Order: sequence, then C-alpha cells, then structure tokens
Amino acid sequence: MSQSSVFLLMVGGQIESAEFPDFDDIYCKYCFTFGPDWLVTSGLDEGLTQVTKKSRDDRQQFVWNFPLDITFKTTNPFGWPQLIVHAYGIDAFGTDVVRGYGVTHVPITPGRHKIRIPMFVPESSSQLQKLTAWILGRRPEYVDVRVLAQGEGREVTRVRSQGFLTVSFNVVMKDMKKLGYDVIPSEMSTSVIPESVGPNSGGTTET
Amino acid sequence: MNTKCLHNVNSSKMAEVHIVGQIVGASGFPDHSLFCKWGINTGGAWKALAGLREGQTQVDTPQQHDAAYWAHPIDIHYATKGLQGWPKIHFQVWHQDSFGRNELYGYGFCHVPTTPGMHEIECPTWRPSGSFKEQVSQYFLGGGPQLKNPDLIYSGADRYRLHTIAMGSVHVRLGVILRNFDKYGIEC
Repeated sequence: MSQSSVFLLMVGGQIESAEFPDFDDIYCKYCFTFGPDWLVTSGLDEGLTQVTKKSRDDRQQFVWNFPLDITFKTTNPFGWPQLIVHAYGIDAFGTDVVRGYGVTHVPITPGRHKIRIPMFVPESSSQLQKLTAWILGRRPEYVDVRVLAQGEGREVTRVRSQGFLTVSFNVVMKDMKKLGYDVIPSEMSTSVIPESVGPNSGGTTET
Repeated sequence: MNTKCLHNVNSSKMAEVHIVGQIVGASGFPDHSLFCKWGINTGGAWKALAGLREGQTQVDTPQQHDAAYWAHPIDIHYATKGLQGWPKIHFQVWHQDSFGRNELYGYGFCHVPTTPGMHEIECPTWRPSGSFKEQVSQYFLGGGPQLKNPDLIYSGADRYRLHTIAMGSVHVRLGVILRNFDKYGIEC
C-alpha cells in the first residue's frame, strides 16, 4: 500500500527580453520562491543575467536569452513556485538603481508557455523624497523581494508600472496524475492534440 | 503566512481544488492610481485548507500605458464534499487620488473556472450610479454611492433595485488544479 506521495515539476525556459522605453543598460536578478512543502532537487533557484543595451532599431528591446533550469519535488501543490525578476539599470550618475520588479507563477499545465510580465517600481512617498532619491541614486527598493510572492503586506505600497518582461517556460510534471491531480481537462488527456503543445506528459492514461 | 485550518492527510481522499494564479491588472478605467480588494467566496461544503482568501493589492500608477498592473499572487487550497457553492472570486476596484482619498471605481466577480488548466479571465466591472444630483457632485468632488452590503457583488438576490454604470475590466490569470474529482465521477 506504500505509494509515493511526491510529484516532480521540471521547469526549463528563459528570461527572453524586455521593453523599458525610458532606460538603457539593464540586467536582471531572478529567484524562485515556493511554499514550505517544496524542495529544489536540481538547478539554480537564483541568478544574475548579463548587462544588455537597448536595440538600436524600432523595437527598442533588451534581450538576455538567459536560461532557467530547475526541478522541484513536492507533496502538495500549495505554494506553487513563482519566479520573481528584478531589473536593475544604471542611472545618469552611474549608480545601480532598480528599474522594475515582476512576479509570475510557473505555469501549472505541461507544455510551452510565453508570459509577458509587467514590471513595476515602488514609488517614493513624497516629492521631496523623490528628489533626494534621484540625486543620491537611492531609489525605494524592497528589502526582501520575496514579499512580492505573498499576498499580504502589499496593500500599503504604491508602485509605478513601467515596462514589460517576456519569459518563456517549458513545464514537465511527473506523477501528478498518479496522485490524483488533474491539470488538464479530462477529455484532453486521452486524445492527441495536433499542435505542438502536447499534454501527453506522464505517459500512460489508465483509468 | 499560510493559514492551515485543517491538516488534511492523503488517506481521506476528499476532492480538492488548488487555485494558483494572479490578479494581473485592470484596464478601461477613467483614471490611474488604482488598487483592488479581492476575496474568494464559497458555499458551505468547501473548506479552505491553506492560503489567503482575501486581500488587497498595491496601488499602481502606470508610467506609459493606460492599464494598471498589480501582479498580485493568489494561492488557495480547498477541500470539498460537494459541488454546490463553487468558488467565486470578487473584486472591488478603488481609485486613490493624490490626496490619499479612496473612491470606488467598480465591483465585479467571476467564477473560478471549473476545468483544470490555465485560464485568462477578463472580468467586467460596474459601479452604482446615483441620482442626477449625485452624479453631478461626483463629477466635481469625487466619491459616489457604494454598496452597503458587499455580498451583492456576487449574489443576485436584491439586484433589481440597483442602477449601475459600466466601468473597466479586471484581468486575472488563474490556474486550476483538481484532485480526486474523477473518483467521484465528476467530469470537468
């Protein structure tokens, strides 16, 4: 009667590109946050990308093409992993200032997903603070970025959204169906979908 | 931060629902600087095992585009004995002006999708519109009528007496994971 109660989630992907119309010379830090039942079995849950400049054409894009590769093990989907990306840039005085925070859940369905995350920065509480922040290069930042992944404590913050970041994920699960979890509608798990997003992970479809 | 009301062991085999997603943002509202109060409401047979059932997003003032973006995470785990009272998520969009006053901009609700998978939902919102005098004063001073009982956002009981006007829409990206529903013969 001993059955394993663990399922695996493998996430591959990349931090592809971003659009920040007003800024240049940007790099990203990313981290994965997850609930207490989750464990990282392989891969890195934190990292730093390269510094990139805007493209000189009409698209005005920042491209990192930065690989993400991580595998989780868990007994409970609660606390599903989230990717938090913070983008930093160099301001007019040469200091590193934060250009945006973005957060998104890792998709819960297997397959390829491309997500466009809005990026926002906390705003200074008064005009004087804004001026001092601009002069000294010490913009408002989050002390612990993981607060963005929680639902509490955000109601007292004021932010300004500027820019978007595009992330793509390739998600594979193992043993979720065995434990009774359904992440795709029941009539899809027994048919073959002609497009490239195939839900045929996990192999056997037994009843 | 997890409110574990009931520690559910594998052997009980209750039907479970995980709602994993975020309130992405809102668009179509007349002004910037918006925040959203949200909540999830269920029937009596549902029990929240972990996660916050309500919250409030940050206030967002977008730099370039017209839409406000909150990216507020939602992660809830329910166990249920019946299908009645499937979870509904409701929103109240508020506007915060430069003086720090809060003004209601819209109410809206939508059912959490019943099929497992990722869903992008656009939930329309509405606001109670008052008499002509109230509309004029609302134009100059702000403020405006609000619902005394917020249950009316997701129930149809006494709605026929309301006069409302349409406002923008709230964008939500929800992922739904179901467990053990096929053991009870539920097709979804």
